[in-house]
Amino acid sequence: MFSTTGPYSVVARSMLNGALLAVAEAAAPHVSAPNVSVEPVIVDPAGDLGAYAGLARDLLQSGVRHVVGCYTSSSRKEVIPFFEKHDALLWYPSHYEGFESSNNVIYTGASPNQHVLPLVEHMLERVGASAFCVGSNYIWAWENTRIFREAMMAQDGRVLAERYVPVGDTEIDQVVEAILDARPDFVFNTLIGTSAYAFFRAFRAACNGRGIDQPKQIPVVSCSLSEPELEEIGEGAVDGHLSSSVYFSSLDTPANRAFTELYRKTFPQGPSTSADAEASYVAMKLLILSLAEAGTDDVEVVKQAVTRQHLLAPQGEVRIDPQTLHAYLTPRIGLSNKQSRFDLLFEAPGPVRPDPYLVQSAPRYAVASRNPALRVVK
Amino acid sequence: MAPRLLQNFNGGRAHIVTANRCAVEALENTLGKLGVSAVYPELRDGRADIDLGALQAERDILFVDGDLDNPVALDTDAASRHPPVPVIGLVGVEAPSRLKHLINLGASAFLRKPVQGGAVYTALFLGINQFLLRGDLRARLDDMNRRRRGRRAVVKAIIARMTEAGSDDDEAYDWLRRESMRSRQTLEDYCEMFLTIRAAPLDKPTHLPLRETGAGRR
Repeated sequence: MFSTTGPYSVVARSMLNGALLAVAEAAAPHVSAPNVSVEPVIVDPAGDLGAYAGLARDLLQSGVRHVVGCYTSSSRKEVIPFFEKHDALLWYPSHYEGFESSNNVIYTGASPNQHVLPLVEHMLERVGASAFCVGSNYIWAWENTRIFREAMMAQDGRVLAERYVPVGDTEIDQVVEAILDARPDFVFNTLIGTSAYAFFRAFRAACNGRGIDQPKQIPVVSCSLSEPELEEIGEGAVDGHLSSSVYFSSLDTPANRAFTELYRKTFPQGPSTSADAEASYVAMKLLILSLAEAGTDDVEVVKQAVTRQHLLAPQGEVRIDPQTLHAYLTPRIGLSNKQSRFDLLFEAPGPVRPDPYLVQSAPRYAVASRNPALRVVK
Repeated sequence: MAPRLLQNFNGGRAHIVTANRCAVEALENTLGKLGVSAVYPELRDGRADIDLGALQAERDILFVDGDLDNPVALDTDAASRHPPVPVIGLVGVEAPSRLKHLINLGASAFLRKPVQGGAVYTALFLGINQFLLRGDLRARLDDMNRRRRGRRAVVKAIIARMTEAGSDDDEAYDWLRRESMRSRQTLEDYCEMFLTIRAAPLDKPTHLPLRETGAGRR
């Protein structure tokens, strides 16, 4: 269930490709799951939030028990009640903002301790302490920005302002002006889809117009920017952006070389591989391996089986934490280049345990506003 | 200013008072994800075996099954319904008598049985932060009551100071306030002391001793 049309279709098409690649591999004669036959049913909610619930209900009522899908958090939250009601399993293959752990979802994308927290550390250490936040007006941006803000403030960083625009909106000039007026050390971006591409282009153009070397003086950092999106941003504004992710297509490992080559051959029209495509590939691989081990599609048995899988994924070793049903993944930070790929700047030494509620890292109390509680009185 | 919101419950300990462990299976699982350990106090003759005196508001959370008949003898303040630790009610039978019992215990959030994992974070967030808010409001109310009780002494002290210094009421009030701050007492406490000393025999000195230390103003 991927919105292969609509405002975030570029990423969603790469996700569908990733999932289908795993299905194709399972059908090959040499695979490790010969007793599993997967027949994908593909539905496209077209980025329309209202369409997700109906499609999920129809799928589950037709007897489907396992769905790989959803990109936005709002769509995931829309369909979870149906999976809980029908006791089916959603394999959610995208990075997200955490603070959720449904027993009917396997989360193969990155949790906030695997994307936003390593990014905050990196930026405070290497770039600067003041940030301007811009995002799409929905739960991913609100909550990820909150986590970012609290992590920054806990380490004496500052968030100068936050601006949100509707999903799909490309009228971005006012936000660009506000950033240039504020002159932060960097911009924290949680825009998605076409809004993000318009922003990158407009911001670079505005900086060029004022003689500002944008990548060096006001870099933009994201937890969602991926290779197919760099291609959408296009020439002239594609390089110099930081992205915190558990996967980049440029990773130089045998597993990733095999994955990217097979992906390219299978889907020559693109879009390119992305972290979310890899997470979808991982989700489908884990589903197929778990089905093979379980010998049934019964949700409880498959859930038990998935926690016993150790997958050598394109990003490295991936396994599912039995307590949270989220994935152990390897945090990385990349810098985009003119070829619409990422050069690796940082890599964690190994897979990091998921902490969707940030119980190991968040401050006990919500961070108070910097507005001083004391003021001078006569 | 309202107390800061508690959002990370890591290190907490939940005491789940219930006779129906099956209905709270998802509660224990989700608490584990949130870094909160769970214990099930034994029920003896209908009473939960908990050392209530050892409970700590910063760490312990009580989950009480509303279907049990008064299983916890909690020392809950009757007027403000403020218990010594956060209480979250587990609701089975949705009858007024059962709900009233949980309210009287001071429950500040509720979870329906059987507990759904997706509802636990919200119940903890609401229950604990409402508990903190109620505690803060009660402390503020106590302070307001103390000041209300001291109002009469303040009025008398202003009049006495006006007579003594030949000043008007604003000047008298400003002087009393300044002197109370200098002696590190609340205005009400200072005025009471001011009047007590003035009421002493006339041949004794009437200057006010400065206190070296003492409770600051709230």
